Amino acid sequence: MSEHVLAATGLRKTYLSGDRRIEVLRGVDLAVAAGESVAIRGESGSGKSTLLNLLSGLDAPDIGSLRWAGRTPAADTRARFLGMVFQSFYLIPELDALANVLMAARILGVPGAAGRARAVELLAKVGLAGRATHLPTQLSGGERQRVAIARALMNSPRLILADEPTGNLDEATGDNVIALLLGLCAETQTALVLVTHNAAHAAKTSRQLFLHDGVLK
Amino acid sequence: MPWYLYLALKQLFPTGRRFPFFTAISVLGVTLGVALLVVVMSVMGGFGYEIRRMITDTQGEVQVRGDGQVLVEQPEELRAAIAAIPGVAGVTPNAVGVGLLKFENKSAFPQIQGIDVRHIESVANLNRFILKPDTLDDLDDDSVILSSQLAVALGARRGDKIEFYSLLMIEKLQESETMLPRELRVAGFFVVGHQQLDGNTALVTLRRMQDLYGLGHSVHGFNVRLAPGEDAATAAARITAALPPAAGVQAYPWTDSFSDFLWVLQLEKNMIFFLLLFIVIVAAFSVTSSLLISVVRKTREIGLLGALGGRPRQVAACFCTQGLLIGGCGTVCGLGLGFVLLWLRNDIVLGLARLFGHQDVMRQFYMVTQLPSHTSGLDVAKIVIFTLVISTLAGLLPAWRAARLKPVEALRHE
Repeated sequence: MSEHVLAATGLRKTYLSGDRRIEVLRGVDLAVAAGESVAIRGESGSGKSTLLNLLSGLDAPDIGSLRWAGRTPAADTRARFLGMVFQSFYLIPELDALANVLMAARILGVPGAAGRARAVELLAKVGLAGRATHLPTQLSGGERQRVAIARALMNSPRLILADEPTGNLDEATGDNVIALLLGLCAETQTALVLVTHNAAHAAKTSRQLFLHDGVLK
Repeated sequence: MPWYLYLALKQLFPTGRRFPFFTAISVLGVTLGVALLVVVMSVMGGFGYEIRRMITDTQGEVQVRGDGQVLVEQPEELRAAIAAIPGVAGVTPNAVGVGLLKFENKSAFPQIQGIDVRHIESVANLNRFILKPDTLDDLDDDSVILSSQLAVALGARRGDKIEFYSLLMIEKLQESETMLPRELRVAGFFVVGHQQLDGNTALVTLRRMQDLYGLGHSVHGFNVRLAPGEDAATAAARITAALPPAAGVQAYPWTDSFSDFLWVLQLEKNMIFFLLLFIVIVAAFSVTSSLLISVVRKTREIGLLGALGGRPRQVAACFCTQGLLIGGCGTVCGLGLGFVLLWLRNDIVLGLARLFGHQDVMRQFYMVTQLPSHTSGLDVAKIVIFTLVISTLAGLLPAWRAARLKPVEALRHE
């Protein structure tokens, strides 16, 4: 059996709201293989984003274990191991599309020429070859999300975590973005965990899971 | 270039047509502070430089004298010995004392300086300070040259005869002897531009001074002019070492003789620097404020940088660097503006004086129609270093706030 890119076991997370303890995750188990795409659906407030934060190592579970390719997650390996796509794109407004994509490599300290060539290639792959010098404010919502996808792929991660990447896009644009994301992940054998409300988008992934009552089913 | 420096540059000077308003305001504050520091320190330096130049122009760079009231009894031999020391360009003997000058019903107690008209020009170009058409050649044993304000106080004009009483006359009175006051003709006036000298000084010949004070052939000391490029302290040490111990005299650099005065000058300059530095400090608060606003506005971007692998200390460096860059830009612009203002200083001052109709008042009270300016490299270095340090410190609080943000919380920030 091949090693899982992502393996989470018994993840539990509780938040305090005033005097109340809210148990958001009650023992989540999840394993994702290389090249596999997994959709996670659930009602608003069901803890999908919390789960994604735990899987990305940005937040720590109260109980449970997480392994990235068999290893304990560490902050200094996150940038190389996984890419993230957010609902609100989170592009840096002062940087053009190319510089936004390159920022992921800059943070890793990847040399300029090689990084630049890859960023140009990725922008071409997401259909924005002609918009490389455009600032985020000069791009449409769909174009911004495509830049964000290129940025997530910049460091050739083994896993992409996408948190409702079509949440701010119209249906047609959202469809295109999901098709692009799935296509690129398949092409590069990158595992994908996609959090979405959209049943049609979830249906395009290789596996669908529902987060309900703090447990993945 | 590290990503945090790159991002700091891009956030301060974004690509595209957007005018970096916050950056411009922050830089402007630092610019004004630096420009003002440069102008004020240079003008103060100019006055200080002129005063120092005036002192050395009139006194020489080294004084040779005995301790207390020790007289030099064979001045000509010692003068020749000093003149032969390497690095010495000129030597003149001197004698100084206090006397009573009386003209009509007005009197004054000026400092009397006895100068050797044969050698004084080798040390001090006094003709430069004597009001035309008079010259030092008009000074003889029966005349006196008065400082400008002393002449005004006495009401004496050129050619007037004034009475001179020396301390020797009082001593003689105690011994029941009588010495009549000497009558001296006013041969001219001088203006040096230094309150102490211009207010209460009279020049007579060394022979007349020796006569009035009963010095015989003795003098009080020597003023020494050094060759260009000679350091006064080093030369003074060399002269002291070369003089025979039996002479009982020592050489002192002019900075020793005027140490209190120079200390006051330096104190004034340091105080002004310290006070004006507060303008830069206030500007730094503006930098802190705009960077704090930036941290709040960019909370989600800071979270993203964390999610992309940026470390808290790198995020902090990004904001500290912005403080440094604002300080750097403000310093460069401030130096530029400061030097332009210095270049135009006389036009500005004369323009203001003309505007308010006080041109003559300025000439009368300050005896200048031009502002002196002397910019020292040390002052500029102090201004640059303090500004950069203060600006970088201004970025510390925003940097600390940014570094403390947890990516997961920052990304949720609304």
